Amino acid sequence: MLNVEQLTKKLPDGRALLKGISFRVARGEFVGVLGASGAGKSLTLRCILGLTQTDGGTATLSSNDGQTFELTTCKGRCQREARRRMGVIFQGFNLVKRLRVIDNVMIGRLAQIHPLRSWLYGFTDAEAAEALEALRRVKMEKYADRITGSLSGGEMQRVAIARAVFQKPSIYLADEPIASLDPSNSLAIMKLLQPLARETPVIGVFHQPEMTARFCTRVIAIKHGKVVYDGNPVLSQSQLEDIYGDELMQVLRPASAPVVDTGILATPYISRVEETAADLLAKQTT
Amino acid sequence: MLKPLLVFLVLGPLVGLSAYLCKVDLAGFLPGLVKGMEVLRFFFPPDWSSLREMVGPALVTVLLAAVATPLGVLLSFFFGLAGARNLSPTWLRSIARTLIGVERALPEIIVLLLLVAALGVGPFPGVIALAIGSVGMLGKLFADAIEELDAKVLESVATVGATHSQIIRFAVLPEVMPALLSNSIFRFEVNLRASVLLGAVGAGGIGFELQKAMALLEYERAMMAVLVTLLLVFGAERVSDYLRRRVLDGGKLA
Repeated sequence: MLNVEQLTKKLPDGRALLKGISFRVARGEFVGVLGASGAGKSLTLRCILGLTQTDGGTATLSSNDGQTFELTTCKGRCQREARRRMGVIFQGFNLVKRLRVIDNVMIGRLAQIHPLRSWLYGFTDAEAAEALEALRRVKMEKYADRITGSLSGGEMQRVAIARAVFQKPSIYLADEPIASLDPSNSLAIMKLLQPLARETPVIGVFHQPEMTARFCTRVIAIKHGKVVYDGNPVLSQSQLEDIYGDELMQVLRPASAPVVDTGILATPYISRVEETAADLLAKQTT
Repeated sequence: MLKPLLVFLVLGPLVGLSAYLCKVDLAGFLPGLVKGMEVLRFFFPPDWSSLREMVGPALVTVLLAAVATPLGVLLSFFFGLAGARNLSPTWLRSIARTLIGVERALPEIIVLLLLVAALGVGPFPGVIALAIGSVGMLGKLFADAIEELDAKVLESVATVGATHSQIIRFAVLPEVMPALLSNSIFRFEVNLRASVLLGAVGAGGIGFELQKAMALLEYERAMMAVLVTLLLVFGAERVSDYLRRRVLDGGKLA
């Protein structure tokens, strides 16, 4: 499905952000990517999506319709064809706020219809019904006609997932999908992603080891641009210490979070202690 | 204490010099003003009987602005897209921004005079002049509005595999729509005023009526034209205020 090999990325000043990241994601997997801030987790996803140019290595997508895409090198039409086969969910939801919820879901299919038809807004009734079905799957069908900007964060993330589902991708990529949400919404989003992963593989960047331990089938840990762990989603205290270093206490029990007795640890959004790798790169390249 | 004194010492002579160069004559000004008031008498009462003849030209003036504004908006939207950093390459952006800037520096009347020389007298050069004239202001405002869009949203639409034109249709256009509408409505108001002025130099309409009456020394008729113009501009301002408030309040119009 997705095969990443020796992915490297350097800052213009020569510092390496990704030092040869390799992993595979196969059907039926829900892969959680963990790591401290600035380790290169989100940057890896950006490289796979072609949003960031890599300096070396390959990322190969084998799609459900039997095609193969070299994600790090393909451009233009090839890149659009590859992207339409990857459903992406972002930390900030990144929906078009002034469109209706249903329109945002329809955006998921843009690459699958002729640009001219999309300009004239020619989605068919069948497509509209299918989009509604995607919304039903995330329990948002009642909001279909609402203006997206009026929704809460948790609701917007559900719509973003519906958009990705409607896209019928060969893989889902989630970049910190629950980092901006409160614990109950985070849990709800994880419960939506888990059944999706049974049909179509999901790879997601997360900050909460207890979430990945509970929902993921496998965990990859990235530290200083390298994969330092790949395997069982349940990690021991010493393994977590190794992955997070000084950040560990923040990840496990941030000062602001109350200790709740629900069996899972409440871990709301972690304030950034240092710049992320993607931030660093953006700063140096613009 | 020292600063105001210094300002006075520098600005004082400069004001004096420019007054001398412009032949400012305060002694002649006041009697002139009194004489001018007497001339004003000729304008009253307005020639109400000419009102019927003014309706046609007034409509031409409104029509001129009504046709020119959408044309100008369309032109400005393309200039806005080309001039936005987040959508177009640097070379295209600098060309678009330069053209917009040059246009803004060029008063409509000069554009019209150039067009009259090329296309002859009439409403058509007026429409083109106003449409081009809108680009200086609207092109810049649209480009700025597009540049302020959240880059992450555009990126997110790009990650479904959408083409450049689809990103414009489904992310850029809906997000800049309020800015686009409210600025365009305001520009209609500006264009209406400019259309009166352009009428006087050859585009026809109420401006031409006014100029004609003045040239024929029919001051009462000219006063009627002025009243009609006031009504038009005032009316347009009220309507535009109302519409813009609705758009900006996120009313159904958008």
